[in-house]
Amino acid sequence: MISRRLILRQGRRALSQPFNTQYRAYTRVQTSTRDNAGLEGENEVDAVKQFFERQSAALAASQPSASPTQSNEVDVKDAEDTGDTANYYHLARHQKKSNTQFGSAQDPFYKPRELITNPPKPEDITLELLLASQSHLGHKTSLWNPANSRYIFGIRDGIHIISLEVTAAFLRRAAKLVSAVTEAGGLVLFVGTRAGQDRCVVKAAELSGGCHLFERWTPGGITNGTHILGQCKTKVVDEHEQELPGYQNQLSQRAALKPDLVVCLNPLENYVLLHECALDNIPTIGIIDTDANPAWVTYPIPANDDSLRCVQVIGGVLGRAGEAGKQRRLAAAKEGYLTYQPKQQLKKPTFADLAQEKLHVEADLPPALPPAPTPASHASSDGEHLVQ
Amino acid sequence: MGRIDHRPLSVLPTAHSLFTSGRAKSLPPWFAIASAFPPSQALVRPQKRSGKKSKMFMPLPIAYREDKMREEFFGDHPWELARPRVVLEGDGRNEGWDWSTGVVQAGRPTDGESVIQRWLYLHRGPPKLPKYQAYDIARKEFYRVRHDEDIERRVAHEEALHTGAYFGLGPLEVGEILEDTAYTGWKYWAEQQIARLDRAVQNSYSAVPDEVEGEGVEGEGSVAEEGEGKEKAM
Repeated sequence: MISRRLILRQGRRALSQPFNTQYRAYTRVQTSTRDNAGLEGENEVDAVKQFFERQSAALAASQPSASPTQSNEVDVKDAEDTGDTANYYHLARHQKKSNTQFGSAQDPFYKPRELITNPPKPEDITLELLLASQSHLGHKTSLWNPANSRYIFGIRDGIHIISLEVTAAFLRRAAKLVSAVTEAGGLVLFVGTRAGQDRCVVKAAELSGGCHLFERWTPGGITNGTHILGQCKTKVVDEHEQELPGYQNQLSQRAALKPDLVVCLNPLENYVLLHECALDNIPTIGIIDTDANPAWVTYPIPANDDSLRCVQVIGGVLGRAGEAGKQRRLAAAKEGYLTYQPKQQLKKPTFADLAQEKLHVEADLPPALPPAPTPASHASSDGEHLVQ
Repeated sequence: MGRIDHRPLSVLPTAHSLFTSGRAKSLPPWFAIASAFPPSQALVRPQKRSGKKSKMFMPLPIAYREDKMREEFFGDHPWELARPRVVLEGDGRNEGWDWSTGVVQAGRPTDGESVIQRWLYLHRGPPKLPKYQAYDIARKEFYRVRHDEDIERRVAHEEALHTGAYFGLGPLEVGEILEDTAYTGWKYWAEQQIARLDRAVQNSYSAVPDEVEGEGVEGEGSVAEEGEGKEKAM
């Protein structure tokens, strides 16, 4: 036992040094004493450890695919280094697997990751869900914007309480809008630039086939798009969202894409974006807390923008709505009709266009305009979509 | 333009006029749905109360009859507020509690809020008991629960001790050790002081006054220093 303590005390130095013969001798002494101690029942800790070793050895024998295991005579160094750890791990896995049938099930309970991996649908909006996500909590009464007074239910503990019914109604309306826009082949931009909002924003954009922004909005992205987003790569897709070749020459002549709808999860930090949308006549949806100005956005959703759970619920619902619209559009395309008005601005590519593009691809040359990496975006066009 | 920019709220008429005037070649993809569900009336202040004009549009405070009861219960049992409590909600569907059966409900921990709900049921529900009679019933049920929890905890502790658990020193034992150390230190210091005084007395009766004075002074100094050192070490 003394020798084991010595190893523990010298462990830091021993790790940095090569495993020399001296320590090997100590561990050999240790293993032999451990066997004796376990048999004689002198040391309970050793007995327990030995029991676990025997268990894990038996388990390893029954699972040949598991990591290489050691018998008692195998090199002591390996047993100390990796073997025990691996065996304990496999033993723990085995026990976990065999014990799952026991105990009680706690369900339903809040699993934070599920708001990202499986966000709620617009049909799932209930007042209970909104209450549990703390969407009703506003700001201190002195910080309010009086324009929000119709969304406020009352004052409790010095803060304004947002009416859950109003939140639910406005959220459903916004979901309808997002759904219809994606069905009509529109481009939806999801914006959430606060810390922690990135994943839900990306997920919403992924579901609805839109774009996402979780870092700073570059001012001028809409009003000065030619300069800021003009070099971005765009592509033409058909109604099944398959890319069509041969349009690169025409696309380079076109103006930068603009979103058809902007969903902003934190309007307070994105005034520039919302102002640009207003200048360009783009409707906006925003989460309006009691201290925000509801006139900044077209469709406010009165809710608590400081609760990540609430923001994830709202972002998830809108993403799901966008997904439903996109699926309707694709289903209609499969049946052979379009849910949107094709634009008459793109010409069918000539044979020369196709050949040139093919040449570029084969020679690995840049096309006429060099593409710059950007977040993917998506817009409607000539019976096809433009994807940036 | 005034202080409020109305352009975000008027995208629909603007899009329409852009299209009819020929500036836009087609209607935007959101036009149909936005026409069906236009933005709601903005910047409206519904009247919340009558009376003073300056307060007419202000939100009203939310008050429940439980508030007074909570104040009373937690005033009587302030340490109930010190117990940790999970405020995270699952899916928010908390129905299925029947306060007619008692203060204990399956699926929720019994705490101060359970007493309030039970009290409310007894007072305002079908039993219609007088307020403080209902309070007594509810809180005594609650005391019973807390008492049972204590017993359970004590039995678990005893069982653990019996099967070889060791919980370390308790706060009283730690306190005793600290007290003993301080007392022993003081005792050592006091003995040193007594020895110093004795030596000083003996020196004052010794035969060689000149030398003794010097020695005495030196001795005093060294003993005192030693004593202080010990004291610090304690």
